[in-house]
Amino acid sequence: MDRPTSIGGAKLSLILIVLVTSLSGCATHATVTDQPAPFVVQPETFTPQVNEDEFELEAEFEEAATEPVSDPLSGYNRVMTQVNDKLYFWMLKPVSQGYGAVVPEGVRLAVGRAFRNLLMPVRFTNNLLQLKPKRAGTELVRFVLNSTIGVLGLGDPAAESFGLQAYPEDFGQTLGHYGIGGGFHIVLPLLGPSNLRDTLGRVPDSYLDPINYIDDSKTQLAVRVYSQVNRTSLHIGEYESLKKDSVDFYTFLRDGYEQHRKQQIKD
Amino acid sequence: MRHLSSLLLCLFLFAAPALANASEEVRSLLKDKIDAVLMLIQDQTMDKALRDDQIITIITPVFDYQTMAKLSLGKKYWPTLSQTKQEEFSDLFIERLQQSYLEKLDLYSDEKILYGEPQTKGKKVYQPTTLISKDSRIDMLYKFYRAAEEWKIYDVEIGGVSIIQTYRSQFDGVLSEGTIDDLLEKLKTDGAFVIPAPDAEAARAGSE
Repeated sequence: MDRPTSIGGAKLSLILIVLVTSLSGCATHATVTDQPAPFVVQPETFTPQVNEDEFELEAEFEEAATEPVSDPLSGYNRVMTQVNDKLYFWMLKPVSQGYGAVVPEGVRLAVGRAFRNLLMPVRFTNNLLQLKPKRAGTELVRFVLNSTIGVLGLGDPAAESFGLQAYPEDFGQTLGHYGIGGGFHIVLPLLGPSNLRDTLGRVPDSYLDPINYIDDSKTQLAVRVYSQVNRTSLHIGEYESLKKDSVDFYTFLRDGYEQHRKQQIKD
Repeated sequence: MRHLSSLLLCLFLFAAPALANASEEVRSLLKDKIDAVLMLIQDQTMDKALRDDQIITIITPVFDYQTMAKLSLGKKYWPTLSQTKQEEFSDLFIERLQQSYLEKLDLYSDEKILYGEPQTKGKKVYQPTTLISKDSRIDMLYKFYRAAEEWKIYDVEIGGVSIIQTYRSQFDGVLSEGTIDDLLEKLKTDGAFVIPAPDAEAARAGSE
């Protein structure tokens, strides 16, 4: 069994340094209040058919709008969103579709489960860092069950027979859990929307990702690409659908990402 | 008069327990609607256009589309529009919401849905659900409010992402740089391309 301490003292202390530095900033971070400010009705500025219920509902969304996403890099971000879009349509999607046409869905689902199983150390460690020992324990039990009865994680008997669900956590969420805000939004090449906190959070997580310990860099890259192709093959059409729904796709992705991360951190 | 008072009495007797049990009412309302939609999706023999029509008929009473349209523009923009523009916007926006909903249904077919504990917040009830698909679990939060005598959905959050909130920021972006006509034009044209079906061939034809 991999223990988180086996990743080496230097790497662990890096995690701790990041954590401690980040913690020092949390006192100044404003918390979101649960109570919306009472909304003052100004009848003369509204059409008469608007009723009071709508004002109450409106307040909920205005409150959220008071914390706009910080986006000083919007110029670069929009360009990178375009680049990623082209990479998806020109490379990732055709390759994934070809792969999906050859490999049965059942196999691709199993491969996806095996890759997720390998990331247990990330989930385990971040659950512990967030002082969620029960969830961390569940992650360990899941890993043992799925790696043995589940045959190298290809199956998920832990969820199917024992009702044990995974608790995905990453270091970005751990920082968020301790009150660190996202910082400015940044679109990463290939990886898509992120922010300063979550981009930095990738560094400690990468030490907990077994694929990073493959010595041959070409093999390592191939494994990563394969994992991505496998996942994409199971979700063809979703990106397209989101794109179609949007009026301003970049803004949609940006705000969607930030809202989604807030939700993940709350759990 | 006697009729009226007995009617009022009836209303009172039935309405009171219904309100007290608001969260249970919302849960069963949503579950009935979703079950009806899922039954239609699982019927593979049905013509798609007919099926889509029936799905919209099922869900329309529970979605407050007009309020969603207003909220998506917000009080910053909605009251500044003429009634004609308001109606034009609402029509386009509602059409988009419905098409988007139908498309999402095409993407998933074998999902299971779990219903969580409803959360009551004043006149609002949030119904959390979890959509379990082949390889993921997605949290969906249906947000209801009490409209006249019925519970209506005014927003849906998918994985914490509010549909209304994301439209608000997009529309705000368009309107702060342009006019309502620019937005209407975008609503008409943007996203007009065809969404690929999950099978490979149809999908390739629909890609950029």
